[in-house]
Amino acid sequence: MLARLGLDEGERERFGAQLEAILDHISKLQQVDTSDVSEMAQVGELVNVMRDDVREPCLGAERALSNAPAGDGRHFVVGAIQENELDG
Amino acid sequence: MSSTASTITALAASLRDGGSSPRELLAKTLAHIDATNTRTHAYLRTTRELAERQADAAARTLRANPESAPSMCGIPVALKDVLCVDGVETTASSRVLGGFTPPYTGTAVQRLFDAGAVCVGKTNCDEFAMGSSNENSAFGPVGNPWDVERVPGGSSGGSAASVAAGDVPCALGSDTGGSIRQPASLCGVVGFKPTYGRVSRYGLIAFASSLDQIGPFARSVEDAAIVYATIAGHDPRDSTSDPRAVDDPLLRLRDGVAGMRLGVPKEYFGMGIDPSVREAVEAALRVLEGLGATLHHVSLPSTEVGLSTYYIIAPAECSSNLARYDGVRFGLRVEHPALIDMYLRTRDQGFGPEVKRRVMLGTYALSSGYYDAYYRKAQKVRTLIADEFTRVFADVDALVSPTSPTAAFPMGDRDDPISMYMCDVVTLPVNLAGLPGISVPCGFAGGLPVGLQVIAPRFEDSRVFRVAHAYEQATEWHRARSPLAEAAA
Repeated sequence: MLARLGLDEGERERFGAQLEAILDHISKLQQVDTSDVSEMAQVGELVNVMRDDVREPCLGAERALSNAPAGDGRHFVVGAIQENELDG
Repeated sequence: MSSTASTITALAASLRDGGSSPRELLAKTLAHIDATNTRTHAYLRTTRELAERQADAAARTLRANPESAPSMCGIPVALKDVLCVDGVETTASSRVLGGFTPPYTGTAVQRLFDAGAVCVGKTNCDEFAMGSSNENSAFGPVGNPWDVERVPGGSSGGSAASVAAGDVPCALGSDTGGSIRQPASLCGVVGFKPTYGRVSRYGLIAFASSLDQIGPFARSVEDAAIVYATIAGHDPRDSTSDPRAVDDPLLRLRDGVAGMRLGVPKEYFGMGIDPSVREAVEAALRVLEGLGATLHHVSLPSTEVGLSTYYIIAPAECSSNLARYDGVRFGLRVEHPALIDMYLRTRDQGFGPEVKRRVMLGTYALSSGYYDAYYRKAQKVRTLIADEFTRVFADVDALVSPTSPTAAFPMGDRDDPISMYMCDVVTLPVNLAGLPGISVPCGFAGGLPVGLQVIAPRFEDSRVFRVAHAYEQATEWHRARSPLAEAAA
């Protein structure tokens, strides 16, 4: 559900077996001793890169919406969000 | 003059002295693509209109001041279809982005355009740059110009194949775990992955943001250095872009390797390496020794767990980056009245199997119950891998190894995901550590090209070019032309 992929029965079965084999393969990571090692999220030395808080030109609504499957000229248009659908 | 036989430097000289014009070169290039693309399927689309406009602008620059024209002025280039170009359909070889036309041009591409390059088309690749054979493209596989029944490598297979087929002297690709170096190796061309942070990722469709770098394919090391020098440098639009000045890779390109200490990582010669690939690479090491370098055996013991580390970190980042393909702002939408079902259907129909596998693997590794065991653990092992490189580089100037354990394999040969993932076992540690690396042709195995990988410390991109250039100039491998390039010439 996290992946937001609507898989059919065949896909579930096929991917299930493949992912199990992949997870089994990558589980050798658990044998590595990392007790005194810190995590690395990125290789760069840069931290909290900010730009000056000044206005710059940006895409207007028309260009920003130019690839939208549905829009009303000002907004992206989507279907209704219905709470009970979220269990599916 | 056909672009087939030529390098950027030779073509630029001919354009400057009036031996040919950008329009003539463009016409020959497009005709060449027409002849080869039916066999390679390296191009998803050509961009004649844009190319003609750019060729005319390049001609004006050359006429006005031939001597000071930039080095790429009038030179045809091909762009992997993960690079955004304003007004040119860009799909990342995915159905989910079918028809997507970016409203802006990425920084690396813009810098090529500002230097006068002529964009001839967008090249085929694995969907969202995920793959090592180009078989994951939603629009069909790419044939290797050395044997069209075999894969060109991936994910930048179309860019590599186009240079190897003699269509263009250079092309851009992207490298997340080997996606430039491995196809360069399998297609017998030069492919360079810059230090992470050297080339802006602005306008590159993201796969794994802490690993992705844009880089060049070319027919010579010098040409790859010219393209790199054109696209590298700080860009405020990419917060991981490094502000340090880029040293000119051409300045010390010809300084040679005499007195250099080159490390040979023993683990890179295990990992299922084909004996004839090993033989070609060992012969290359002797050439470097003959040029005055000294070889030193070194060990990178965490190489064995590099693959596992990569296949947690890359899918984790990919699952997050690909969350944006939800049928709302761009690309495919499969309609359904309920929003959640629209998401599910759009993503199920929009993504191919490899992308789905990685999105599932990534969301799993990041989910609350498994985060520590998978994602956090992989981040720690990533530190170990990077530290091992740092330790080794205290003793040697650069590392030399095979680029890929095997030469090009037949299409359909590797249908289980893990055997495909093994293709990148000696390239992906370089991405995990953010290092610069190149693949340069170093011989043949069963008639198929083999590549030598050169790796250097972070920001020592120039040293990579220098070692690769010394090797290239001492051998004839880079002059070998694929059968397809010969036939179309």
